[in-house]
Amino acid sequence: MKLIKSLHKWLSVLVALQLLIWLASGLFFNLMDHSKARGNEYRVKTEKRAAIDTARLLEPSVYLVKYALKQNSLEQQARPVYSIKLITLLSQPYYLLNHSRGLYPHFYNEHLLINAYTGEQQSIDEEMVLNIASSSYNGSGEVKSTVKILPPIADFPKEQNSVWQINFADELNTSAYIDVSSGRLVGHSNDDKRFADFFFMLHFMDYGLMGAEGGFNNGLVIFFALLLLIFCLTGAIWVIELINKGRYKIR
Amino acid sequence: MSWYRVSRKYHKWLMLFVGLQFVIWSISGAYMVIFDIDYIHGDTLVANQQGALKGEQVNYSIAQLYQEYPQAKKVELTSLLHEAVYRFSTDNANNQDKHLLSADNGKLLSPISKSYAVQIATSLYANTKANIEQVSLITEKPPFELSARHLPVWRVDFDDFASPSFFISVQTGALVTKRHTYWRLFDWMFSFHVMDFIEEDASNKLLLVVSVLALMASLFGLVLTYFRVFKQSGNKRTKQTAKAKRVG
Repeated sequence: MKLIKSLHKWLSVLVALQLLIWLASGLFFNLMDHSKARGNEYRVKTEKRAAIDTARLLEPSVYLVKYALKQNSLEQQARPVYSIKLITLLSQPYYLLNHSRGLYPHFYNEHLLINAYTGEQQSIDEEMVLNIASSSYNGSGEVKSTVKILPPIADFPKEQNSVWQINFADELNTSAYIDVSSGRLVGHSNDDKRFADFFFMLHFMDYGLMGAEGGFNNGLVIFFALLLLIFCLTGAIWVIELINKGRYKIR
Repeated sequence: MSWYRVSRKYHKWLMLFVGLQFVIWSISGAYMVIFDIDYIHGDTLVANQQGALKGEQVNYSIAQLYQEYPQAKKVELTSLLHEAVYRFSTDNANNQDKHLLSADNGKLLSPISKSYAVQIATSLYANTKANIEQVSLITEKPPFELSARHLPVWRVDFDDFASPSFFISVQTGALVTKRHTYWRLFDWMFSFHVMDFIEEDASNKLLLVVSVLALMASLFGLVLTYFRVFKQSGNKRTKQTAKAKRVG
């Protein structure tokens, strides 16, 4: 019992600060405005159902021949095609060819976008992403800047693809993120979400140390979680001892 | 009463009520940070299957598809079990209106049969040596681990480490989700961590009350740490004098 008490005392020194951070950030998650923390204040659904003139559609199988089997060509390397999806972006139908398939969209993927009427390759350039971002945004801010960034992306740490970041000049500093190779809207972020993310960083001890990379599986948090576990167990044993000794008496 | 005695009293009493939750927090928290989240999500169970499409596999054109299904939306040409298939929906909201079609001959493949679901699940499963333990069709009342939006599905259970299950959509033949023992346990840990056993929602009142009490209990504990560790170095004599001072 002496060892238990001594462990509890000295562990309290080690875990004190982080334990208070855990409790305070946990309390914040309990009380925060969950809809604000999603960062979608000015996000609107991009129109998904633009009418497609099916008679004008080219056959997708054409691209299997064109892109997959074109061997030893100078201008186009042979690339396998795993799927061809008919999508609409900005009211225009496109075939989205997948050249490298990840288990989820945010895993590493490679795509090619082709105009489904003309067969022209559509590059996802600055002009295009500005239009996609603006169509997903209903705030009052003008576009402030557009940057192409490589992962890791601070606002979306799980995203493994390069993205365009479109920054709007509004009071929440909204940013829209668009996948460079597919035109997919990764999401919106703003200062409300960044504020909540700061507390997640504290709660997960995601301080950029010991393998921390935007998640809760880093060495530092594992170490402190184990210290806390011993700390709580020694405390629990202490409480049980106090009960057994009859020290909980209402006077 | 001195700060020390007040803190000792309240730390003792508060921990009688919230101490158990501290133990639960530390066990569930440790579990969640120790197990890698990608492992928990069963990503390692899925074989990196990259069946590339070939031009000769597609003998049924998209023009034919639109002729037969003028309502088709979200059309996708992809590969399933080394064959080219079209996936599309005739309505956005309803799973029953999703379809799977052979891109070779235009034959409707959905709703998929049990044996077809088993073939898909087996081909997607990373451990090729594992046997299938059980297959069941879930059309309503999904279990805790399965979202109702995926229904109807074939549940394919593998006879392998950590009892993995793959859930294959009846209408699209796609792997909609997967589970294994450690993920199921993770879900429970999360429920206990946020003290919500129904919706796994971190904004419930019970958690609020317990968190506030826990924060108070910890602050009293911090005062004790200050007195026991920093104010006196464990030397008996200083302890006694300190005690005498406080009593006086």
